[in-house]
Amino acid sequence: MKEQSSKNSSIGMELQGREKMKASLQLKKKKTAASDGPCVIRSNPFQEFDTYVYARKDLPLDRIVQSTEVVMDQIRQGYEKLLEEEAKELVWMVQYNTIIKAYEVAERYVKEIDYAAEDIEDFCFAFENTQKIPYLIPGPAGLYISALCNYAKEEEIVLKLSELKTEINLLGFRLSKGRRLVIEGDAGDFTGIGLEGGELVVEGNAKNWTGAGMRSGKITVKKNIGLHTGEWMMGGEIYVGGRVRGLGNIVEGKVFEQDKLVYPGKARYPNLYY
Amino acid sequence: MKERTPQETIEDIWPRVKRKHLYPEIPTPKLGEVTGGEEPGTEDAVGLEIKAKQMTLNADFLVGLKGKMEEERAIEALLDHGVAHYTFCPWDFYTYVNLYAEAKKVMGDKDLGKQVANHFIDVVSNTYCVKMRATDIPELYRHLKRGAIEETMAALYQKIWGKDLGSSASGKSVKGNEEVVRRLTRIPYLNRSRWAESIRRFARSIKPLLLQEQENQKSGAGKGGSTPLGDHDLNGYSLEEIDQGLRDYARKSMMLPEFREVVEDFTEELKEAGYGMEGGMGRGRGMLLDADVLFYMKLAESYVLPVKKSILEKKGTLHPHSHSPWEVGSPYHDVDVWTSFGKIMPGITQIWKKKEGKGKGKIEGAPDCLIAVDSSGSMINPRKSLSYAVLGAACAADAYLRNDSKVAVYNFSDAPMGGKDVLDYSSQREEIYRVLCKYFGGGTALDVEDLIPLVHGKKDLDLFIITDMKITNLEALIGYLGQLKNRVTAVHIGENPYVSRFEKAVERKSNISLFAVKRKEDIPHIVLGRIREYFHQGPGR
Repeated sequence: MKEQSSKNSSIGMELQGREKMKASLQLKKKKTAASDGPCVIRSNPFQEFDTYVYARKDLPLDRIVQSTEVVMDQIRQGYEKLLEEEAKELVWMVQYNTIIKAYEVAERYVKEIDYAAEDIEDFCFAFENTQKIPYLIPGPAGLYISALCNYAKEEEIVLKLSELKTEINLLGFRLSKGRRLVIEGDAGDFTGIGLEGGELVVEGNAKNWTGAGMRSGKITVKKNIGLHTGEWMMGGEIYVGGRVRGLGNIVEGKVFEQDKLVYPGKARYPNLYY
Repeated sequence: MKERTPQETIEDIWPRVKRKHLYPEIPTPKLGEVTGGEEPGTEDAVGLEIKAKQMTLNADFLVGLKGKMEEERAIEALLDHGVAHYTFCPWDFYTYVNLYAEAKKVMGDKDLGKQVANHFIDVVSNTYCVKMRATDIPELYRHLKRGAIEETMAALYQKIWGKDLGSSASGKSVKGNEEVVRRLTRIPYLNRSRWAESIRRFARSIKPLLLQEQENQKSGAGKGGSTPLGDHDLNGYSLEEIDQGLRDYARKSMMLPEFREVVEDFTEELKEAGYGMEGGMGRGRGMLLDADVLFYMKLAESYVLPVKKSILEKKGTLHPHSHSPWEVGSPYHDVDVWTSFGKIMPGITQIWKKKEGKGKGKIEGAPDCLIAVDSSGSMINPRKSLSYAVLGAACAADAYLRNDSKVAVYNFSDAPMGGKDVLDYSSQREEIYRVLCKYFGGGTALDVEDLIPLVHGKKDLDLFIITDMKITNLEALIGYLGQLKNRVTAVHIGENPYVSRFEKAVERKSNISLFAVKRKEDIPHIVLGRIREYFHQGPGR
């Protein structure tokens, strides 16, 4: 209370001071006008801004940008926490256990965020374009993005990754039935592994181990694909628009190269296709 | 009552618009014919044109709006739009070039890059006006004729301004573009510090539409790439602004390939603006624009090296003779405060050009300079990436030229075998830079005989040599410099045993100063023509 009253009194004094200053300035002005004679008119050049109305409006844009920033911060924090837990040494080994564990951690953070497909896109864009995201480690980044895609409200998501200089691994991990993920650009290793009925489209190339362990669904790679394609896949289809560098040990499922069925087909030795 | 003409309306409302935008320094806009746009003379023509800050409103455009919108309101909206380009976005030529360069990275095409930059700049300046000032820009956009891109832009404006512009998601062009609009609405247009990132996002989102438009244009079905209120180009900037913009871009990017790309993309416009390689500051018509030379020229202007004045024997004293524009980095002491209105500002400030009078006497000034630059294989090729040697030499040349001295250049690699280029004393800036940028890439040997005619008979002369000192006949150079009485500034790039040898040999010569350049930040530390002062000289020495 005391503090408040002293604050009020100080503000009051300040105002009083200002009033005094204003009055003395006016007095001075009058005096100079009187002493200089009637023909001298001294006016404040900024006088007319006294009546200037600064019409600053709140636009919907402000609201949209602000809410977008909040969501982006949450997504970024989730990724940083995942990195803290999974890649302390900044080296992340792709092993069955580490993938499962990291994905579970990613799922935990992602579930708490309310986001849209565009937020995922912005997050991918931020990897290459801002300094806010400290590290792009292709493995955890891919798993985190996969978790974001799997828990998004939208059924179809387009990721524009064509400007990224690093290919992200593990994109489309466990993409579930009814979901469609389109990747504009190239994808890294382990793309679409463990696919669970979803549709994954890669507009560019995909590296090794694509579709490994997938159960069902469809993977389309518009350009070329690397080695071990479809390793231990249990079902589903992989369509490749370009060349397949090598097939893996496929259990069940189909692989097409330029609309031609290459598995199952003539006996082929894994990884010796070309 | 007599109806007001549009020009009268402009003159009536211009004070109000100026006041609203806090008095920008822009001349009164005029009404006239504006070239550009889809079909000049129809309502498809663009709304306004800005040339060297002079706004010209298109009469045909206003005629097209008759019956749809009150003329006074339309004019005020157009003026708000035009002034916002000046006061907010792009603000200056550097920002425009920067935005264009970022857009081109995404689009991969010069024309599409320019279109994206135009649309982005329009969105930013319009949004700024709508947020910060009372404006009828939304009303104006309601009545503009729209193609596919304009329809998308209208949908974007509708969302981010919260005003009805008559664009519905079910509209023929917007249908299917909701996703694009949704992405565009998320961009922080008014955050200046994020414009580079924002325009990349903007370009990525709008790219499919522009590609589609380009296809339609090829097949003759589409509209041209102009924005409805007019495009941004180099015409909007004065030569001083272009100078400053290029200087800033060279200094901030420090990337020769990027600078070259931008200059090559704007070659036509730069030439049209009278920006060639003839005449001072890289301006004038005639020869081809050499982007590499321009890069070093603009970068050198950013590093102003001091030249120690010396006593020169002249025929007579100098007296103020005529005025010339002051440039950033020029000395202040010749500024004429009366004709410059007390302001130090490029384009306003003027300096006195002095002329030598009759008689004989001694005055203080900067002598002519002979620059020897090493372009052997151990040096960086200045046309491939930033060469500190050439930049250092360019800065030295710039410093002497600013002081009205002449500069000669001796560019050497394997000089006895013909790997050299010699330029006699000249004040032709571009010629000097052209010789400095020449690269031989061979062995390193200096022919002292070549220097003798350039030094001989010149009492007042400074020497500037920049090299990595890996010269096969270094002893001959040391011997030659040792006998000279002139001030010598020697700059070495990097450290090696030859540098130590040179340093040891000249340590007792007070007229030779040695500087090391390892990073670009070392360049400003060079003092040209410094005579070393020995603070620790003992008594009797």
